[in-house]
Amino acid sequence: MQGKRYRYIQWDAHSSPIAFIVAVLIFAIFTPNHLFIDPRNLGSLAKLTPDIGIVALGIGILMICGEFDLSIASVLPFCSYIFTMFFKAGLNPFAGLLLLLPIGAVFGLLNGIIVVGTGLPSFIITLSMMMFWRGLLYGISRMMPISILSYVSKHPGFEKMLTGQLGPIPMQIIWFLGFAVVLGFMLHRNKFGNWIYATGSNPQAARAMGISIGLVKTICYMIIGALCAFASVMQSVRLGSFAATQGIGFELKAIAAVVVGGTSLRGGVGRMLGICLGVFIIQIVENGLILMQVPVFGVETFIGVAVVVFVILNTAVRRRVARESD
Amino acid sequence: MSVNNGNSETMLKMVGIHKWFGKVHVLQGIDFEVNKAEAVGLVGDNGAGKSTLIKVVSGYHRANRGKIFFEGQEVKINSTKDARALGLETVYQEQALAPHLSIARNIFMGREPSRSMGFIAKKVMNKESMGALTSIGLHLRSPDVPVSTLSGGERQGVAIARAIHFEAKLVILDEPTIALSVKEVHEVLDFVRELKNKGIAVIFITHNLHHIFSIADRIAVIAHGKLLASIQTKETSVDDVSKIIVRGTLGDGD
Repeated sequence: MQGKRYRYIQWDAHSSPIAFIVAVLIFAIFTPNHLFIDPRNLGSLAKLTPDIGIVALGIGILMICGEFDLSIASVLPFCSYIFTMFFKAGLNPFAGLLLLLPIGAVFGLLNGIIVVGTGLPSFIITLSMMMFWRGLLYGISRMMPISILSYVSKHPGFEKMLTGQLGPIPMQIIWFLGFAVVLGFMLHRNKFGNWIYATGSNPQAARAMGISIGLVKTICYMIIGALCAFASVMQSVRLGSFAATQGIGFELKAIAAVVVGGTSLRGGVGRMLGICLGVFIIQIVENGLILMQVPVFGVETFIGVAVVVFVILNTAVRRRVARESD
Repeated sequence: MSVNNGNSETMLKMVGIHKWFGKVHVLQGIDFEVNKAEAVGLVGDNGAGKSTLIKVVSGYHRANRGKIFFEGQEVKINSTKDARALGLETVYQEQALAPHLSIARNIFMGREPSRSMGFIAKKVMNKESMGALTSIGLHLRSPDVPVSTLSGGERQGVAIARAIHFEAKLVILDEPTIALSVKEVHEVLDFVRELKNKGIAVIFITHNLHHIFSIADRIAVIAHGKLLASIQTKETSVDDVSKIIVRGTLGDGD
């Protein structure tokens, strides 16, 4: 009986690789001239996905410990703005990036302090923070894009490090995988990772066992902040400019990606592999539908439907498991 | 009616403990003792202060007034960490385990055996988990399954195994048999008997007097935040204790 129950849980955890393969196959076959698997398209996907992918890694980890962060949509462009100011001030971009990471972490620290301190739903708090930073940024930048091409061209090494190629593979994907591996080790093999799962699965038990759930959540927020900082620079260098509209829509897309990858909205459930695959699945679906010349609004609708379907699937499987173990 | 077993050492002694939550005076100068290898059943009506007393012992709450002695020494229990460091482990009602985590990760929650940089020593953790389970007579197939796949009785077993693995000297159980089937209740009571066999003192709260009578050495009745009665189990019966509880809450029977 015990073996049978366990089998259902395994199916749930493995649903994202299956979905990934299915998505790739569908678009490989059905896009006109199989454009989806054209190396140029794949290369373009590889360059674009990590912008949101890197941040989504942090969002997934935060959701496992039971909280949300919607502020990423504004923290990302804000960090990009700060980095652009560093460039203008003549700061070496390597130093600028190193300096920006803790600055991003401070954005996260602020989120953590307010969420933990007030005990209010993080969805609302971080939504408000998102609007606050966005308003501030629009005011400061007057919504004008700022070109950084002239600065970047003086530092080809920096440009190559972030947006170059390692053979056929764009550096962006390598950075994404690097972060995924490091954060994956933290999540799955480290004590702190167990505290993250415990905090999300049963915060009272975690607290009773001496885990500081406030600290765990705050650190997760800080990780997201630092990831936003890195992604913002990677994106700006690729675009050649700062734009106040960078990151718009990331907050919901990241949640969608993470949920598609099997992360629970209620906390306690999720895997690094699932988070990564979820990110790819969302991007692949978007890219594939565009290549199939589905009108733009259709793409958004489809993604919305896909996410709901995934949530239902994951919940249905979990409910079945719960019933069988009664 | 206080009977002290003169042959055992006193493991835990609480004297004159007061606890207020805002204006509510929950513990009103309560005295309470537990001896080594003794199982004490804590009973009383709802709101009598049983849970609060337990939480003061386990460090979840801090007493506003009063003294606590553990193994003869006066101690200050200001946090759950202090309590655990002394050897006081608690199995909370429905709060003990994280359902999505594996048995091993639950047993070692917050105390994961690790190598450098905090990386978990998985083999050690799994091996010691299985050892902790078998030491109370719980035989499960693998330490990697999520605890949500276990039955209620098995889950309580895991929580109890966790408590004794960390060399508890006194284990506190808050309603350990609630919502369990008859078979599962027997399993849990067997685990508690194993604790006694190991010389570990046990306090448990329950509303079910029949369960207490099968393993407690002594019954302590709490009412209005005070110790109303402390009786050896063999000198009383379920009916007698019920009467004391009911009388204690109706009148000024303290």
